[in-house]
Amino acid sequence: MAGKIAGALIAGMLVAAAPAMAGNSLVAPGSKVQVAKSGMSIRSDGEWNKLGRRLGPNTETWTIDGDELNDVTFYGGIADGLPIFREVDKKNRPLPRVSSTMLVTDIPTLFETSYRIAYDTPLMKIDTVEPTSFAGGKGVRFTYSFTRPNEELHRKGEARAAVVGGKLFLITYEAPTLHYFDKTLPAFRQLADSAAF
Amino acid sequence: MRGTLAARAAIAAVAALLPAAIAGAEVRAPAPLPPYAQAYEPTTVDERGLWMEVDEVERKLRDSRFVIKDQKLVDYVQGVLCRTVGDDRCRAVRIYVVRDTAFNASMAPNGMMVVHSGLLLRVKDEAELGSVLGHEFGHFELRHSLNGFKQRRTASDVMTWLAILAPNTGGALATGIAGSAFAFSRGQEQDADMLGLSYLAASPYPSASAANVWERLMAEQDATAAGRKRKAQHRYSAGFFASHPTELTRATYLREAAARAPDPGDAAQAAYRATMAAFLPDFLDDQIKLNDFGGTEYLLNQLAGDQWTPQLLYARGELYRQRGNPRDLVSAAQFYQEAIAKGYAGAEAQRGLGLSLMRSQQVEQGRAALQEYLKLKPDAADASLISTLVAN
Repeated sequence: MAGKIAGALIAGMLVAAAPAMAGNSLVAPGSKVQVAKSGMSIRSDGEWNKLGRRLGPNTETWTIDGDELNDVTFYGGIADGLPIFREVDKKNRPLPRVSSTMLVTDIPTLFETSYRIAYDTPLMKIDTVEPTSFAGGKGVRFTYSFTRPNEELHRKGEARAAVVGGKLFLITYEAPTLHYFDKTLPAFRQLADSAAF
Repeated sequence: MRGTLAARAAIAAVAALLPAAIAGAEVRAPAPLPPYAQAYEPTTVDERGLWMEVDEVERKLRDSRFVIKDQKLVDYVQGVLCRTVGDDRCRAVRIYVVRDTAFNASMAPNGMMVVHSGLLLRVKDEAELGSVLGHEFGHFELRHSLNGFKQRRTASDVMTWLAILAPNTGGALATGIAGSAFAFSRGQEQDADMLGLSYLAASPYPSASAANVWERLMAEQDATAAGRKRKAQHRYSAGFFASHPTELTRATYLREAAARAPDPGDAAQAAYRATMAAFLPDFLDDQIKLNDFGGTEYLLNQLAGDQWTPQLLYARGELYRQRGNPRDLVSAAQFYQEAIAKGYAGAEAQRGLGLSLMRSQQVEQGRAALQEYLKLKPDAADASLISTLVAN
């Protein structure tokens, strides 16, 4: 009897715990999917895992080996006046906001500042910026590198972005410099090239 | 420095002296400094344990990417410490300057001193830097970490371990772990303040500098709060659980104690500025990217005094351009223009000017400034992107 109750309790706990993990799903190769609750669609040639956890209301994260090892995040149309991801401490560490009048050069700076504040690290810099075409329009491609506090791991990132209709669209890829960045870079570039509205 | 006190009786004597000075006793000569022993080795089980922990923290910190590996800067900071606390005391201290925008410095019981770049940005001269370093050295010399550690261990082992294992909440460093384990009590803070003042009185620097630092810190915190549309949060008395005296209390008793034992001295502002000039652009850049308009604007005004250098004008332009309200962009353009007129050497002032004007819809002038930027720096990392703006 006691064993049954314990069993039922454990089962109950598993059911209760399940929704937190249930959000993760497989993105099958060759599928064309809408990402980040936006009009942006992506076609993937390989398998990816879509995480249930979101950085903010208009974001979506994909990974192959786990988001600490390779992380592709789509920011789908962040509107004027909003931060690019959820704020941890709005009162004491407010994040910069997207502005519909931003120039294309302001996008990497906005991203850099958001990362510096969110991760509480001065070791975040934009390495290169160049014009690119993004989902058929004009955009910016930039690379960056950063180190989070309490963790000496050096990470690199690559991103493409554009302001479309006053909203910021951004796709980022980041991974530890050691092994993982180069390993997943071609798969990321294939995703980014496929972006369309 | 490995040398701390040889005789515990001496600590007790000094510790007993310092609160008396705070209470208002006549101070004619600076309080005698504690005796000093070279190559001190930890003695008790508590002290050995503590040293083992901080030795490990130091090993990790030494190789950290957050440490600014510039021997000239480290030597300079060490020189200021030596002039403050005396050559024999400072020699064995290992100084690590870390990139962290917080106004902070700390010293571990094994003689490792961590100085944040945010502190170097905020102090105005060697004397002010010396006053903060002397305060930290005071904690070390009075062995506050050990006393606090023992006290907490006696009170509750669980709390001590929680303090050690607590994740780093404030700083950007592994040393935060040590920081939380070695938090000092309010009484210890005050003792270290007064010992720091004794060092300053015995040094070539004027004692009055110690209070300046705290007064400006208060004003900067007020400016940050105002910029974020919050109420300033200064308390005029420390709460029961507060570990530090309030900045106001600190500034007041330091000012009073310094006034009782006046020593003019040279604060060495020119030497400080000359040494920091090479690091100022990076430190300012880190500060501007904190998205703290009010605090940064106050800080820039303090650094400038009545003389805005081209470098500070450029930084102010960057700050205003980053906030980016229409009125900010007009101000930013003016600051860049002033910086250029005063002879700012870097091409990036033209870039900032051009981008501010473009965002203010003054496209023609903006384009001209950006073209000037590309002419001055054709191989700039963002040259191709800026070219597209010019072409549009």
